[in-house]
Amino acid sequence: MSRLTVGLIATALPLAAMAAPESYTTDPYHTFPHFEVSHFGYSSIRGRFDKSVGKFTIDRAAKTGSLEITVQTASVTTGDNERGSRPRTRDEHLRTADFFNVAEYPAMTFKSTGVKFSGDNPAQVDGLLTMIGVSKPLTLQIESWRCGAHPVNKKEMCGGSATGVFKRTEFGMKYGVPALSDEIKLWIGFEAYKD
Amino acid sequence: MEDLFNHPAVQGGIAPFVVALIVVLILHRVRLGGLALVAALATAVYFVAGFTFSPLTATRKIFLLGLAAPVIGVLADKIFFLSLAAPVIGVLADFAFKPTRIGAVVLALAGAAAALWVFWPLLQQKEAAEAWLLGGTIAFSVAWLVGTGMLIAEDPVRAGAAGLASGLGAGITAIFGASVTYFLYGIALGAGAGAFLLVQMITGKKYVAGATFMLSATLVAGLISAGGMILAKVPWYSVLVLAFIPLATLLPTPKKAPVWVQAVLLSLYGLLVAGVACYLAWHSGGATSA
Repeated sequence: MSRLTVGLIATALPLAAMAAPESYTTDPYHTFPHFEVSHFGYSSIRGRFDKSVGKFTIDRAAKTGSLEITVQTASVTTGDNERGSRPRTRDEHLRTADFFNVAEYPAMTFKSTGVKFSGDNPAQVDGLLTMIGVSKPLTLQIESWRCGAHPVNKKEMCGGSATGVFKRTEFGMKYGVPALSDEIKLWIGFEAYKD
Repeated sequence: MEDLFNHPAVQGGIAPFVVALIVVLILHRVRLGGLALVAALATAVYFVAGFTFSPLTATRKIFLLGLAAPVIGVLADKIFFLSLAAPVIGVLADFAFKPTRIGAVVLALAGAAAALWVFWPLLQQKEAAEAWLLGGTIAFSVAWLVGTGMLIAEDPVRAGAAGLASGLGAGITAIFGASVTYFLYGIALGAGAGAFLLVQMITGKKYVAGATFMLSATLVAGLISAGGMILAKVPWYSVLVLAFIPLATLLPTPKKAPVWVQAVLLSLYGLLVAGVACYLAWHSGGATSA
């Protein structure tokens, strides 16, 4: 094999590696979907889902990618989980058929249909959000994005945050509208390790 | 105006009551005043969730059965009417009574089957012991409610009182179990029965209830309380207690008392049982449905 061939292969290998799609799995300890709902127009109540699993792929050369995240609806929490003198808590109420109906729909999912890039980084993810049995388009804006080696364990990882907005009535979650706002703001903080 | 119709008291109470009242006043002349209940329920569903049936959740199945119940009830009433005619024409003189009992058993079993159809996908997800407990509670409570309800179907005051207490009981236990939707549906059912009862109390006349009224009242109330148990946090023993409301309205009242006195007394009997179920739901403290 000539030196030229060896040199070409040596040059091309890292490029090929860069061009290959990379896949990542979310770190459940550092990935939490949050939501925000207006309460009678006075305050904003924020909640989050404690349990979720997700995967994404990214091909920086082709500027393509995909994302799939599954959230366990029963893990919803708004910080109100002690009954005190009341018969039930708000978090228990959120799990009933009034809201997330966790008995019938234990999971909600987001599956991407397309990823748009800004430079080398993903900037927007279009996809379908499936909640209480209804699927509707949802766009997530990626507000921050960073990849590199974890400072401690040195594993390759990416992390960031994404936001989105949707109307819950479009999914059939009509309870309490408009006192409890129809518009739901999403904020997802995530970290994911390279597979 | 929009704010008014968004208020839960209007959605689950006032609007269903007014609609039911109109239905009773118009349709009692053709023996269909019992449709007041389905009218009240439909009004609440319209305001609370809308007429959407996809995906077909347990709650939407309950509403579908609520729509079907009076249709089956009307047919059952026709059968009963024919059975009454039988002795008149001298054929099978003792046949008049049996079909109603058989009909009650058939309707009770059909109610239990319908309830299991509603909640089967959820029961399948449970551990065996829990599935048996919840499934057994659902099947028994709905069958018992429907069956005993048919015993009082021909007494419109007892039927109205049982419907009132069943609806309010199912609704109030549901809110103690953290489901406001089921609370509103239960209250709407109670409001419909209340309208049916109120017209009788004011006019002093008894209108026809029959299976048209009673099947709607007992089946829907049973399904609401079962839904509150399996989809929210209503304890199973509250659901069982609620099932005894129609039986409580079989207690005696002064025979010559005016209709309004009978209605008040019978409602109190039913509400006493409903009160016990509500008390148990309030104090269940972690003894959840599951």
